[in-house]
Amino acid sequence: MAAYRADEEYDYLFKVVLIGDAGVGKTNLLSRFARDEFSFETKSTIGVEFATRTIHVDGKLIKAQIWDTAGQDRYRAITSAYYRGSVGALVVFDLSRRVTFENTARWLQELRSHTDPNIVVMLVGNKADLRHIRAVSVEEAQAFARKEKAFFTETSALESINVADAFTGVLTQIYHVVGRKVLAIGDDPSALPIGQTINIDMKDDRQAANKAGCC
Amino acid sequence: MEPSLLDSSSTSQKRFPKLRGVRWRIDLGVLSSSLSVSIDDLRRAAADARRRYASLRRRMLMDFHLPRDVDRSPDLTMDNPLSQNPDSTWSHFFKNVELEKLIDQDLSQLHRAHGSFFQTPTCQTMLRRMLFLWCLRHPEYGYRREMHELLTPLVYVLLVDLDHLSQVQKAYESHFSNEFDEMSFSELTQVSDNRLRRSISGGMEIEKEGNQDGIAKVHSIDELDPDTKEILLLSDSYGAEGELGVLLSERFLEHDAYTMFDSLMNGARGVVAMADLFSSSPVAFEVSSSFYYLLSIVDSSLHSHLVELGVEPQYFALRWLHVLFGREFDFDDLLMIWDELFSSPNSICIDKNAKYRFKILCAPRGAFIASMAVAMLLHLRSSLLATENATFCLQRILSFPKNSDMKILLEKAKSLEILAIDSNKLLSSSQETSNKNKLAITRGYSLSLGSSSARTPPNQVPDSYWEEKWNVLHKATETMMRSNGFLDSSGMKFLGERSILSRTESHPSPADGGGRKNKHFSVRHKLLDDFSQDINSVVEHTNSIQSKFLVSNNIESSPLQVNAGNHFMEELNDDNNIRRMTSDCTAEETCLSGECSSIFSIATHCSLSKNKDNDLDKSSITSNSCICDNDQEASIMEELCCRSYNNQLVKDDEVVSAANDEPKSGQEFVSDDRKPLASKFQWFWKFSRSSAEGNLEKGGNQESERASAAENTKNGCSTPNFCSNQQFPRCEQEGRCRRQQSSWHFEDSWTIHA
Repeated sequence: MAAYRADEEYDYLFKVVLIGDAGVGKTNLLSRFARDEFSFETKSTIGVEFATRTIHVDGKLIKAQIWDTAGQDRYRAITSAYYRGSVGALVVFDLSRRVTFENTARWLQELRSHTDPNIVVMLVGNKADLRHIRAVSVEEAQAFARKEKAFFTETSALESINVADAFTGVLTQIYHVVGRKVLAIGDDPSALPIGQTINIDMKDDRQAANKAGCC
Repeated sequence: MEPSLLDSSSTSQKRFPKLRGVRWRIDLGVLSSSLSVSIDDLRRAAADARRRYASLRRRMLMDFHLPRDVDRSPDLTMDNPLSQNPDSTWSHFFKNVELEKLIDQDLSQLHRAHGSFFQTPTCQTMLRRMLFLWCLRHPEYGYRREMHELLTPLVYVLLVDLDHLSQVQKAYESHFSNEFDEMSFSELTQVSDNRLRRSISGGMEIEKEGNQDGIAKVHSIDELDPDTKEILLLSDSYGAEGELGVLLSERFLEHDAYTMFDSLMNGARGVVAMADLFSSSPVAFEVSSSFYYLLSIVDSSLHSHLVELGVEPQYFALRWLHVLFGREFDFDDLLMIWDELFSSPNSICIDKNAKYRFKILCAPRGAFIASMAVAMLLHLRSSLLATENATFCLQRILSFPKNSDMKILLEKAKSLEILAIDSNKLLSSSQETSNKNKLAITRGYSLSLGSSSARTPPNQVPDSYWEEKWNVLHKATETMMRSNGFLDSSGMKFLGERSILSRTESHPSPADGGGRKNKHFSVRHKLLDDFSQDINSVVEHTNSIQSKFLVSNNIESSPLQVNAGNHFMEELNDDNNIRRMTSDCTAEETCLSGECSSIFSIATHCSLSKNKDNDLDKSSITSNSCICDNDQEASIMEELCCRSYNNQLVKDDEVVSAANDEPKSGQEFVSDDRKPLASKFQWFWKFSRSSAEGNLEKGGNQESERASAAENTKNGCSTPNFCSNQQFPRCEQEGRCRRQQSSWHFEDSWTIHA
């Protein structure tokens, strides 16, 4: 028992799902965030994979359980259960492949139909390093995100740009929402700080981003 | 150690022990599996398969890659590169380009660990062509990602075979070059002539060669060992079908790999067809459910823990299934798993009319997949039970330790396979009434599925009756245990678990027909092996914490034990009900050993097993003389258990230095204290059980719970082990067991031993 106690220390536990078309770089985004790794030989995800990382927000330990789902159609019927209990989602598309951006609408729709309406959603345009073959403009993506009441950011898992910010952004936002007790969460964050002003300490994020700086 | 099922059933009887590729081709149904098939027949089959592939390749690939005939597509309005018509040749062309791109994307991700070979253009082209062809041939499935991960091991084993062949050839050449200098020279020229001729004509036509060379060769080959001889015959260019029939041929590597892949995907008219798993969610879903079904039978506490956490089987099963465990293990380990997997027949092994729960469990191969999955879960058992959250739990399942002992895992999977097949059968109602003993099985299974079919419990007697009977039984047990020095804390633990296990697990028909019984028995025996190994680890652990317990450690010589066992069984003999209960006990013990093996999946092999084998023979003889068939097994199991405890104790005699309790006073203590404890259990019992369960089972279990209670009491520890109870998988959190020191300790011991 004792061996496992160490990784159980946290104040909040949030489940976040990563969704988006196959090959947009979900797995690498996650490995960059969780372990600061990137691989060109990432195998396609079968079913679902997981990673966790703990961050500090406002002196609180927030543990993120991130569910990295397979982007392929064939799993859809089985995998809708993945959304259960999630309080945040990163909807990822490939900036250089327009079709993946167009499909985000479908992903969002599926997400909304399975989750709490207050779920925190961030639209992520990945592969920002492929500037020369960009197929989706920032303005267009931003407009779409606004329409969908989602946050938007562009990342590059390869060059480690914005990756940690994207995740911590979602997590701090969830923390806010939980602080307002708006969201009904499956996992029990028993003692909620009510009426407190929550200062978001972004120092850690920056540190994380800096640490992740080389590629 | 008993010769394992694993070895006897699969590898030792197989032909071509050194040629995995050939073995797999036989197992996958590409080549005939019959032992009597001559090498010439194998060569003919291989040649036929190669011809089929060649013609497929010609038909499919030529069409798409040769420039289109102008006269074949006269309608330029439809057939032009910009046409949106899905039927146009151009749209086909673009679709295929997309397909190739997708395949290439997967292939570029091929792991580099196994040679740069997979990364070479030659190999990549070959793999791409095979996958592309398969998809064109099976448009209903199309290409699904990860299919290549099923293909590459097949290519790899063929390559290893070729490597082996070249080694043998080298040895062979040096061996024969001295004596047959001229021979080998003429042979060489002939072979090179052949190659030349063939490369010029570029054809696949068969050439029948004169066989005077062949005769000379056979004559000299006779002096070689049979393995080498076979290899040489398989790769003799002058055998049946000439070079096309050479089983180990680099030239036809692609043909062979494709045929194997095709057979694996289509299942060769068997149950497990990988293509179905890839394309159809319902099939994948059903297979995942079968994993949990089997788990619920083997280890209901783990099953209910996973269910409680909301860990659905498909979360991890998809990954295990699609690449047949390829992501979880190192390549070499994976090949071992596939050895077992392919050597399990893929044909339905139950009666055509028989009803079953899961189609996949009808074939040994499917059953093996499920048992492998369950064995993997059991391997992680303690780690999984320690999780309180679905994500953490899944994380542990999906990061399966790479350095696991494959032999143990595979043996466990193999031992579960028979159980998987048997438990999958649904008995018709007439069968149920005709054989009361079988009731135990169905009841257990249906309970584990949560159905509440109203079957009449075979025995309904008041609890007081059982209490009375218990006194009789208990005395006998006491006598036996006293003589065996049976009681120590580890024994207590297992007795505690036994009572719990028996509730959900049932014994696979104690009094069944001859062949079947033996089969079961061997499984049980095997589980028992695990059990004794596990005791080892428990006792080691116990030693470290022995201060908590009062360990009585009276060890006497083994003949006494046999006598005690006989006496015990004779006493039982005079009452039918008790006898029935004893057979229940058998079940419990079997399950107990199964459970124990699952608790401590990493068990070290110990020398005890051998002793135990001898004991088995001895005890079966003695019990034959005095009791009927049913009880015989019971006594065997009983004695085996005791014996293994005993052996263990002997072994650990020097280590365990606790005070020797006075048996007599201990007994008195027990009989005083038993009733209140029993009633306490009853409370827990009622609390945790559904009312649909049969009375007998309840009674029997109460008996055994009392047994455990008695043991506990005797050991000076008044708290039974509830934490391993599957009804309270998380009772530690619920605080119900916090008071109970022993439970704490058991929870801890799981973790430590894992």
